[in-house]
Amino acid sequence: MKCYICAEEGKETDAVAICIVCGMGLCMDHLVREEMEVWKGDYPFPSKKLKKTIPRIVCQVCYSAYKED
Amino acid sequence: MSLSKRFLAELVGTFILVFFGPGAAVITLMIAKGSSPPNPFNIGIGALGGLGDWFAIGMAFALAISAAIYSIGRISGAHINPAVTIALWATKRFPSNEVAPYIVAQLIGASLGSLLFFACVGIEAVTVGGLGATAPFPGISYGQAILAEAIGTFLLMFVIMGVAVDQRAPPGFAGLVIGLTVGGIIITIGNITGSSLNPARTFGPYIGDSLVAGINLWQYFPIYIIGPIIGAVLAALLYDYLTKE
Repeated sequence: MKCYICAEEGKETDAVAICIVCGMGLCMDHLVREEMEVWKGDYPFPSKKLKKTIPRIVCQVCYSAYKED
Repeated sequence: MSLSKRFLAELVGTFILVFFGPGAAVITLMIAKGSSPPNPFNIGIGALGGLGDWFAIGMAFALAISAAIYSIGRISGAHINPAVTIALWATKRFPSNEVAPYIVAQLIGASLGSLLFFACVGIEAVTVGGLGATAPFPGISYGQAILAEAIGTFLLMFVIMGVAVDQRAPPGFAGLVIGLTVGGIIITIGNITGSSLNPARTFGPYIGDSLVAGINLWQYFPIYIIGPIIGAVLAALLYDYLTKE
């Protein structure tokens, strides 16, 4: 798979990841890797934020869309 | 989440329960004031619409409990009931050092609920409605009242175990189902003991009645401690036994 954004720019770069939201192939220059907080617990137990986080890889378009929220 | 935030959340949750639940009983009694109940077992709740009066009160409790669970469930766990806290502790699901702070928060929240209801309605909330305090109804003995409270709280805790504590339960339904369960229990047990199922729910109106009008119902308070705690602990233990491989 090739990087979609590079392909739009006329370049051909191997993809190293896929955006978890839109499925776009991404090279190292065009991916965003975010650490997501994980909460465990629900009624009748108080929620606790776990020490470990879950990594998420998204493209820059989806990342900026999430940040607008 | 810090203990102080969970303390505050538990206080607010129990406030919601006691303001809106017993508050509905007060309003029912105030509306029925002056009517002639058909028999001594009818103290006014039932004078307007028979068992429909208890249905209305039960629904007020149901919606208040659902509101509390959905709003603070992830913060404090929304026990809003010392019997639930003790049952979770007895089955090693809740830390020992947090039991007392939770119960104190629940008692303060319940007291504020009753006192602020009085502040909203006035003296008739106490003299006519008794702030929705619970007591055995005419003809119901102390022992019968404890038994009824234990059975009612057993059902409540059994449902909590099934729809919330059990990790196989479908998510999102706990608040609705538990609220409606309490509403259903109140319809049946309401005219026996007032259907407290919760020491804090009885404590709030008792404190309010004592402070505002000097009404002393404290001789009945052990009913609403012993019955709910026995019922809740038995339900939690039985559920664990039934689901253990």
